[in-house]
Amino acid sequence: MKSQALIVAGIDIGAATAKAVLLNGNTMLSSCVIPTGESVALAAESVMRSTLDRTDLSLSEIDYIVATGYGRRAVTFAHEAITEISCHAKGANLLYPLAHTVVDIGGQDSKVIEIDEKGNIVNFAMNDKCAAGTGRFLEVMARVLNAEIEEIGSLSLKGDDPCQISNTCTVFAESEMISLRAEGKSRENILAGIHSAMAHRIAIMGNPIGFKSQIIFTGGVARNIGMKKALQDRIGEEITVADNPQIIGALGAAIIAAKKQGHSI
Amino acid sequence: MEAIRHIRSLLASRLSALNQEKLKGKKIIGYIPGGYFPEELVLAAGAVPVCMIRGGDHSAVETAIAYVDRWLDTFYRAQIGYGVSGVDPYYKVLDALFVPITDANNRALSDVLAYHTPLDVFPFGIPHTKSEDGYGYYLHGLTKVKAKLEQITGNDITDERLAKAIEQCNRERELLKEISLMRKSDNPPIASKDFVMINHASMIVEKTTMIENLDSLVRELRNAKPGVHDRPRLMLTGSTLAMGDHKIVELIESAGGNVVVEDFAEGIKPYWNTVPENDAPLNALAKTYFMDRVAPAWFRPGSERLDYLIRLARDYSVNGVVWYHLMYRESYKMQSYYFPEMLRKETGLTMLTLESDYDPAETGQMSTRIETYIESIRRQP
Repeated sequence: MKSQALIVAGIDIGAATAKAVLLNGNTMLSSCVIPTGESVALAAESVMRSTLDRTDLSLSEIDYIVATGYGRRAVTFAHEAITEISCHAKGANLLYPLAHTVVDIGGQDSKVIEIDEKGNIVNFAMNDKCAAGTGRFLEVMARVLNAEIEEIGSLSLKGDDPCQISNTCTVFAESEMISLRAEGKSRENILAGIHSAMAHRIAIMGNPIGFKSQIIFTGGVARNIGMKKALQDRIGEEITVADNPQIIGALGAAIIAAKKQGHSI
Repeated sequence: MEAIRHIRSLLASRLSALNQEKLKGKKIIGYIPGGYFPEELVLAAGAVPVCMIRGGDHSAVETAIAYVDRWLDTFYRAQIGYGVSGVDPYYKVLDALFVPITDANNRALSDVLAYHTPLDVFPFGIPHTKSEDGYGYYLHGLTKVKAKLEQITGNDITDERLAKAIEQCNRERELLKEISLMRKSDNPPIASKDFVMINHASMIVEKTTMIENLDSLVRELRNAKPGVHDRPRLMLTGSTLAMGDHKIVELIESAGGNVVVEDFAEGIKPYWNTVPENDAPLNALAKTYFMDRVAPAWFRPGSERLDYLIRLARDYSVNGVVWYHLMYRESYKMQSYYFPEMLRKETGLTMLTLESDYDPAETGQMSTRIETYIESIRRQP
């Protein structure tokens, strides 16, 4: 049965995960996160299907779909593609109207975005093409240290004497990890050092933008409690981890979709 | 547009035309872009000028790694790559290459090509201050260029022949300027990629034919009725916009932006001023090519160019500025750190900074940056 209010979807195809959000007016009907895998196009179809499966809706009942993320152009069933930077800005603004800075750290990219009270972008900075300062960097380091990606954040908080890590280049840092382990440094202290080095890099990248309060942390890496702490220590400001931080880009895309249909959220 | 198609085909067939000229005994004189080498001197010597303005090619950049360190500007590494390859048809057709030395990058190019290739390379220094001494030094350089060209061609560059060449090149500059100014209108009749193409062509195609075609283009553009659109108007500025380096303009256009004016050290030949036709010709060339033009980023003080960009942004009513420099061009990169604040204070505009090493792997992130920037301009109230 088709609902009366406008139904829109945002779909965010990132380097690591694909996310989708279904909105009916101001209500989130469902959302879903899956690994992107090898095919961007298949991930898009599959995440949309899973999101719809949690409702009694079908694809044809969605009024407007906005795609975002690095795979945004491959979402053939979307009506429009918008960059993830604009979408994270909109998504964070909806949930946190006082937000002025969004720090989005995803699988392959990291961004610091300054936004105004309407969620429009004032300025932004983005990492260059290497994986330093991204989720991918943390994944590689977790593997080297034989730790689960979900646990490295809390492990890092247990470090009492963080190691100095000089490299955030994924390739060089990997060999640095190996030599630190050989020196007998604890996993907790190495991880504390890694988080601190990565936070330093994000702070440098965002410096020209500035970190104006309220600062909202989005993207998959925002689920890492150690990174929140490390960033706060570097920036010297309180950081709010967005509720369900991975889907903020998809949520923003859905909001833009609703606005395109003349619905104000 | 007919004239644009024609100029593009002249550009495509230029290499075979140069080879034919060479067979007829004409000397083919290459020069490095940047606006400090007056083509007039080559034309007055009865030789054929051709600018080495191709770029955007990562394989040429990679070739250069065996000859120079990585920390040189990408465009100059590309020229070194073409030059040392020994098979590049544009470098092969040259009888000599003139290199105005403006910084360490073209200095390296000059040294490497002189040492590793049989090419007759003629470097001459360009001072970094607009002063009486600077003018005198530049004029002295032109005197040496003139003597070298006379030696290569066996022809005298008389004042009379030079005056004639100046008149011809002035006509070309006036036409380029007239076309550029048409873009101040709400609906520019010519796209940036076409304007850049004709500017490149003006440094490569035979002068008389080029002027005829620019003349027809001006007539066509005057009668053109461009459709109404609301694409954000952008200024594109930076170090080098080479022929073949189309990625930036293409990404901007596919993201819905409209470049309406460009400023580059290399790749956009200065067209705002004409050379005075009643003065002593060599002095007149020195005045226009050195004193009157807008100085590039490495000049002291560096503010002239930045003030000019702010004027240009206002004159062309742009909604944003895209700054595009190549990797390791430090003079431009340094200005990119503080210019956004100047621009914001003076005009309220924001700026997007992009850097390239002609690496195809850059495209994805570059397009996200450009799309985001254009989305942010569009959404501003």
